Amino acid sequence: MAKSDIVIAGYAETPVQFRSGRSAYDFAGEALAQLIERTGIEKSAIDGMSVTVPLSECANPFFAVYMAEGLGLSPTWLNYGGIGGCSATGGVSRAMSAIRDGHCEVAVVMSADAPSTRWNANYAAYRGEFQDPVGVQGPPAVFGLLMSRYAHQYNLKPEALAKIAITQRNHALLNENALEKFRKPLSEEDYFNSRMVADPLRVLDSVMFCDGANAFLVMTRQKAEEMGIKKYVYPTAYAELTNVNGADPLADITETGFSKIAPKVFAQSGLKPSDISMFQPYDDFTIAVLMKFEDFGFCGRGEGSDFVLNTDLSFRGTLPLNTGGGQISAGQPGLASGGLNLAEAVRQLFGEGGERQIKNPKNALVTGIGVIPFARNWGTSAAMILEV
Amino acid sequence: MSEATASRPVPKPSVYVDTTPFWEGAKRKELFLQYCKDTGRFQHYPRPVSIYTGSRNLEWRQVSGRGTVYANTVIRIPGPGLEGRLPLSVVTVDLEEGARILANIVGSPPEDVKIGAAVEVVWDLLADDIYYPAFRLV
Repeated sequence: MAKSDIVIAGYAETPVQFRSGRSAYDFAGEALAQLIERTGIEKSAIDGMSVTVPLSECANPFFAVYMAEGLGLSPTWLNYGGIGGCSATGGVSRAMSAIRDGHCEVAVVMSADAPSTRWNANYAAYRGEFQDPVGVQGPPAVFGLLMSRYAHQYNLKPEALAKIAITQRNHALLNENALEKFRKPLSEEDYFNSRMVADPLRVLDSVMFCDGANAFLVMTRQKAEEMGIKKYVYPTAYAELTNVNGADPLADITETGFSKIAPKVFAQSGLKPSDISMFQPYDDFTIAVLMKFEDFGFCGRGEGSDFVLNTDLSFRGTLPLNTGGGQISAGQPGLASGGLNLAEAVRQLFGEGGERQIKNPKNALVTGIGVIPFARNWGTSAAMILEV
Repeated sequence: MSEATASRPVPKPSVYVDTTPFWEGAKRKELFLQYCKDTGRFQHYPRPVSIYTGSRNLEWRQVSGRGTVYANTVIRIPGPGLEGRLPLSVVTVDLEEGARILANIVGSPPEDVKIGAAVEVVWDLLADDIYYPAFRLV
């Protein structure tokens, strides 16, 4: 795919907080005000909005409409994105389609959540009968199962997972939006001493639910120029897949949706893995990051541990990884989580990375993960490539 | 984590789809799973349609309860309903009939459970007369 005429022409991100006592609406307001201030646009120019379904408010089926009302927006296109950590990149992609179809001209992709203050979700479905009695209450146990299977089939080196955690923590030290609690260095010893949660998964392999918000402005390049916006990036590829291998109950759970969509985003952008300037993968757990190095062809299947150990993943390195600390070290703002990785990619491509700025980045590969299904890997996989 | 602990929450049946045959079978300590009559294949957890064809030409059939451990973890952190159950061995089992089930392993220390191990169904007592499938190493 050649460069599209549609761009991300602005981003905003609130600091990540734990038990802030604030609502998703309040965080969204902070993100919108910041977005308007950064881009200089009039609020009245916004005529489209994608809203991410948040854990903290999802008992309200009209959250997106309430959000428009709360923010004083009157969108002619409103999307309510329920693919969890894929809702930010997915929201950008859907906004691009809506703009192409003429439903709106200036769309804001808003993700805000505050689950560490208020938990309002009930997954219901089969869980009460077939998951809860087994004691599986959330993602850690399912990721423990996934890690065990990966380790059975391939060579999983815990020191590689430690390196992912430590690299991202070093980046969080330079990120003023990262959760304050995580802004202290991490050693390999700290990693190996961290508590086992669901073998072989440790606390320091995992994210912690926090509160926060992010927002992105999507419009045509021409519109951005008309509005006097100087900085923008081109989303040149997007693909997503939900319920990979969903009709195969005995599927290999180490085969993820990313292995299916990676060829699509490389084909759309015309790039190859060695062209990628930075990798901002959705990082709910370190194993997901490690497996994605393989799925996107940075190394072969099962070679993730050695690749991590042999590659400089710092912001100065050959493949900078989650240069804001990722969710594991900046904190996971509920289901606004996918926007955290995306915001860092846009920030870096705008040259606003401050102390952690990557030198002359040309592009970024960003991913999202949405929901943990029944004893598999994850529900939705999404990937987006951004280019300057 | 064995029949000795009979204080566990009893799930409400038939919340998602009609699961009466599963719970009726469990009373007799027989494992019943959903079966697609068009393809001759089992599926678990139970669904509103066959995941193979999309049809509702489904029934419930008893399975052997024999299988092998596909993936393996040990839950070590507390949570609601986990009182007195930690460390808790959680596995997925590939049943001989071609379905994968999430379950506990009982009767062995968690560290003895390995991927590939042969297992068979046993029945955890949740409350009076209410049993739930678990597995033991064979």
